[in-house]
Amino acid sequence: MTTPKSEKDLHLPLSRVKTIMKSSPDVEAVGAEPLYLVTKVTELFVTDLAKRAFKNSKNTFLEYKHIAEVVQEDDTLDFLREIMPRKITVRQFKEMMAKKAAKNGNSDDSSEESSEEESTEESSSNNEQD
Amino acid sequence: MAEKLEDLNLPMTVVTRIVKEALPEGVSISKEARTGLAKAASVFVLYVTSAATNIVKNKKRKALTGQDVLDAMRDIEFDRFVEPLGEALEQYKQMVSARKSGGGKKKEEGEEVEMIEDD
Repeated sequence: MTTPKSEKDLHLPLSRVKTIMKSSPDVEAVGAEPLYLVTKVTELFVTDLAKRAFKNSKNTFLEYKHIAEVVQEDDTLDFLREIMPRKITVRQFKEMMAKKAAKNGNSDDSSEESSEEESTEESSSNNEQD
Repeated sequence: MAEKLEDLNLPMTVVTRIVKEALPEGVSISKEARTGLAKAASVFVLYVTSAATNIVKNKKRKALTGQDVLDAMRDIEFDRFVEPLGEALEQYKQMVSARKSGGGKKKEEGEEVEMIEDD
């Protein structure tokens, strides 16, 4: 009565993967087998991307820029380039500035220096999901 | 269909867990890196789905199969995943047939295994 290994080794929730797949206009039904494989390969993908990104890190801290670098250099990851730009977008930058201004009441040049690295620490306090 | 927009993203906590397992112990991951990886994974799901769907369309079939997902890997030049994924497919098939011959409902996960729905 043991649960088969191949199903247990998945981390990602099948139901969520299914929802995402079904959001694709061409997909009406998703069978269990393709669902399993898409979930599996997505985990392989995340593992692969994280490992490669980590090679760009010089210490034991994995940052956004390390991932963006992999994405920008590997042509097969072209589909991620829009969502993972090497630099932050103007919109994000403005949002960041607005948040900063709201937080400490000053939006001077000092804050403009800060790039994505610095924002990682600060963003932990505010929940910005889009 | 997704009710909420968050439903179209993979849960960040789970993605982070996968990442942590992939990296050496003691590595910390910035929040933006976590968000980025979770987003990348979510987009990857769609990317693979659309590649697999294209194969189905070209073959003038309707239902998506595991083999289509496997074939899609070559189309999107993720050849390095073909082998591990092929193994996963084999395992999966074995598991399904074992469960069928093992007689009926061992557990209540039938939904995930057998279901082909059409809504």
